[in-house]
Amino acid sequence: MRTNQNFGLLYVLMLLCQIALCNYSPLGPYIMLSMLPVMVFCIPLRVSTPMCMIIAFFSGLAVDWLSEGLIGINAAALIPVALARKGIIRVFFGEDLLSRNDSFSFGKYGAVKISAAVSTAIAIFLAVYIILDGAGTRPAWYNLMYFGLSLACNWLLSILVTHVLTPDDRK
Amino acid sequence: MRRSNIIYHIFNAVIFIALELTALSMLNNNGELQNNWFSNGSQRFMKSIWGCSQEISQYFSLKKMNDELALDNNALRLRIAQLEAAMADSHPAGIPAPEDGVAGRFRYIPATIAKISNNTHHNYMILDKGTADGVVKGAGVVTGKGVIGVIDAVSEHHSYARSFKNHEMSISSRLGKDGFIGPMSWDGRSSSRAILREIPHHAEITSGDTVYTSGFSTIFPADIPIGTVGEAEIVNGSTYEIEVMLFEDFSKLKYVTIVENIGRKEIEELEEEI
Repeated sequence: MRTNQNFGLLYVLMLLCQIALCNYSPLGPYIMLSMLPVMVFCIPLRVSTPMCMIIAFFSGLAVDWLSEGLIGINAAALIPVALARKGIIRVFFGEDLLSRNDSFSFGKYGAVKISAAVSTAIAIFLAVYIILDGAGTRPAWYNLMYFGLSLACNWLLSILVTHVLTPDDRK
Repeated sequence: MRRSNIIYHIFNAVIFIALELTALSMLNNNGELQNNWFSNGSQRFMKSIWGCSQEISQYFSLKKMNDELALDNNALRLRIAQLEAAMADSHPAGIPAPEDGVAGRFRYIPATIAKISNNTHHNYMILDKGTADGVVKGAGVVTGKGVIGVIDAVSEHHSYARSFKNHEMSISSRLGKDGFIGPMSWDGRSSSRAILREIPHHAEITSGDTVYTSGFSTIFPADIPIGTVGEAEIVNGSTYEIEVMLFEDFSKLKYVTIVENIGRKEIEELEEEI
């Protein structure tokens, strides 16, 4: 099994980047950028789901606390991603990867599969985030637009983050 | 292996719920909009739960309400019979107060069916009232929608009644309030039809007319509506046989009234003397 030896350090650095992104990015009301779902999705498979959920909870809480957001909203949206992580991997990469506790990479599974898996994780995060953020006050068309635009932007960002966090065996 | 998998999934679910609830409670405390949303949602949820439990408890109290309504019905029926008797006799002391369920020539006892047979040619029912309640052999069983049967045997707390849906049973009935009188019995096929016989062929039969008890028996009071007139045909060229659509649905019977003619013994003794 090959995993990024500096995953922990990279994870913390990306968390700091996310805090900076939340505090300083001049994004409009229709887009929300977050690296958090893909960061959680890329946590090595040897880390169990409960531990992954705890990491997701504290990561979300750190971002909520250190940026100008609502405390608890990122944490609440990130925990379902951690819970669904192994399920998404099973669907897109197969049971084999899970049984070997191996890592996924663009080299091994290709951009399409990884994009689809990462998009699913982002979609879960965004769905929960947007519902909690709107708290039943926003119209459906706004939520859908918010979701669609954010998904597209986050997908691009996530491809980059996945490249950084997942090692490629073929290199 | 399978059990450990289940335990692992339960553990995951517990951790997920605990963390999610913690995050949501933080959000609830920090966001005013979210706080309103959660409290409105929880109120709606509690309201639906409360409404549901209320409906369930009302459903289970229906039996008690039915029992009370049956008793009320019986009291009202008795009161009507007393008023009618008082009016007919021009009672000098006015309208008598209810006494031991007696009205006119009859004593009324409310009862509940404990067991009923509906699908044979010799149907019967067991009622929850017996000699201890004043029930005697030969009393009638009625409802506001018809004649149900006749008591054949009585124990201390129960009685056995032969159902109207029985080949051996025939009751004296009248076409309309002032029409012709004839014996009526179950047709033996349908649970909702009976045959009224011996109606003279010159009688005017109108479909939909109500058939009542005639009162010319020592068992049943007069003017209990039984059913409506259906098809009629002349038999042997002399009398009508009329199909009667019964009001009472025997398959849904639960509450009945036992009627006892107070003067029946005296009438029977008189008949024996002659």
